[in-house]
Amino acid sequence: MDSLSIGYLAAATIIAIGALASAISIGIISREALKGIARQPEASDKIQNALIIAIALAEAIALYALVAGLLLIFTAK
Amino acid sequence: MHILDHFFLKVLIPIKIGAINLSITNLTVWIFFAVTILFLFMFFYSRRMAIIPKTGQSLLEIIVEFAKNNIAESAMGIDAKIWWPFIVAIFLFISINNLMGIFPNSYVPTSNIIFSATLAIMVFFIIQITGIVKTGIKGYLKNFFIPGVPKWLWIFITPIEIVSMLAKPFSLLLRLTANMLAGHLIIIVILSIITIFKNYLVAIPAIFLALFICFFEILISIIQAYIFSILTATYIKDILNPG
Repeated sequence: MDSLSIGYLAAATIIAIGALASAISIGIISREALKGIARQPEASDKIQNALIIAIALAEAIALYALVAGLLLIFTAK
Repeated sequence: MHILDHFFLKVLIPIKIGAINLSITNLTVWIFFAVTILFLFMFFYSRRMAIIPKTGQSLLEIIVEFAKNNIAESAMGIDAKIWWPFIVAIFLFISINNLMGIFPNSYVPTSNIIFSATLAIMVFFIIQITGIVKTGIKGYLKNFFIPGVPKWLWIFITPIEIVSMLAKPFSLLLRLTANMLAGHLIIIVILSIITIFKNYLVAIPAIFLALFICFFEILISIIQAYIFSILTATYIKDILNPG
């Protein structure tokens, strides 16, 4: 394999692992939030606010991976 | 066409003063457009405030009160009394800049890493200066030399605290930029499926999917502005109450 295809392969691996990590964490976060809302429906407003923030923080992992992947693709020679 | 074509700066009017490049680019134009919309909206609907608000004024009140109650007060508590105008201003500024993405052929200002870096660095210096001025040097250093921790553990904890303080603006700017970049990149990728396959059967679902992601982008724009301002509020609250 030449270095260009190794670079593309590395970019694909990075975004795959990053998306996997953020998907798993978003799943865990929403599961726990739903549990909390089911047990205490009156606290759903507070839980929802925290849920949105936590999901955005977890989603950022995939986006960091995307940035790294884009850098790899456009700088691979 | 390059796939990142929409995210490149294009110089419209080149202006150079010595070594400083002050050219008018499409970024400048779109920032001014966004700020003009926000200014006109705020100016005309807050000029004659009525006790019983009409449509525009009540829309303005809903937006500002949402930002004040849900972002500033829920994150900062009692400190929000002084700080809520800053948090609301950051929220409105970032959300109007993010929402420029709904115009076709636009340049989203926040998808430029320099623009987001300016905001994040401003927030970083505001945090540091607030910490030093409001809590004094002693209180500021409590953020790094945490009281209540055994003294020999400071060897490990202090570098971690310093690095996490320095990483705050980077995480803020990367989150904002990457979110805006990724959303618009996905629309381009989905639409370029049509030009790759050259088939009407592919075109119909692709356009509907792109439309769906366009609406999703509006949601993401607001949520990212919300995240940026709520994190700013949390950082300021943390630096005001050290230890």
